[in-house]
Amino acid sequence: MKWLMITCKEATYLISKKEENKLTWVSKIKLRGHLAICSMCRRFEQQSGFIGRMAGKMHIHATLSPESKEKMQKTLQDQ
Amino acid sequence: MSQTLLNPDKWVDNFADALYSYTLPRVNDAALAEDLVQETFLSAWKAKEGFKGEASEKSWLFTICKNKIIDHYRKKAKDIVQPIGANERQDGYFDEAEHWTNETKPAEWGIDYQQAMDNKDFYKILDACKRKLQQIQQSVFVMKYMEDMDSADICKALGITSSNYWVLIHRAKLQLRTCLEKNWINLK
Repeated sequence: MKWLMITCKEATYLISKKEENKLTWVSKIKLRGHLAICSMCRRFEQQSGFIGRMAGKMHIHATLSPESKEKMQKTLQDQ
Repeated sequence: MSQTLLNPDKWVDNFADALYSYTLPRVNDAALAEDLVQETFLSAWKAKEGFKGEASEKSWLFTICKNKIIDHYRKKAKDIVQPIGANERQDGYFDEAEHWTNETKPAEWGIDYQQAMDNKDFYKILDACKRKLQQIQQSVFVMKYMEDMDSADICKALGITSSNYWVLIHRAKLQLRTCLEKNWINLK
């Protein structure tokens, strides 16, 4: 069974692959086995998913200066 | 259905800020973001005869803008000498047996991970943490998680192999997680 054991470094690497459905069946079994006994990596998996979802929703509200907008408007009008 | 008409005279008034807000966190540079918005309008102007009205004016402009951003990453990737793998062995997150250390192990954040968060401070810190990533990690992270691109397309655009890609994603996640934990969770 030793060949199925993976380290936390490998497990965290596989977690991102899992999120994109890119795990081979061997890797799937290895990761499942590791997560069953490692609460730190289980937590990492939750946080990793959370970070990915939040990045997708990230929005800020920024505004251009009136001068910049005027310049853009003028560039368009010159076309 | 009547065809949606373009209104180029109103583009700057109606969409400049929205496009700028979209572009800025994706390129981290105000002057560059402004240039990309300007280029978006110019490309749209040149292509306006081909606008079929299948999408709204707004989503059409956003599509052009997204392509400008991806193009920017594509060009940039060519200039980057990739230090991938350089410090792969000793990365500081794991001990010699490749297990978490006491300092690096994930702490409980005390939030519902399934629940989306609409919190300005959180986004600000996530953005600041993202800026600290290496340039190539940032490109990969933005394309994957903010542009929702397929990993094969990202590899093609940036000229990297898929194993490079997974290493970059892995390290970006480790670094972002640590940075968020340090700067946001401890603030809560």
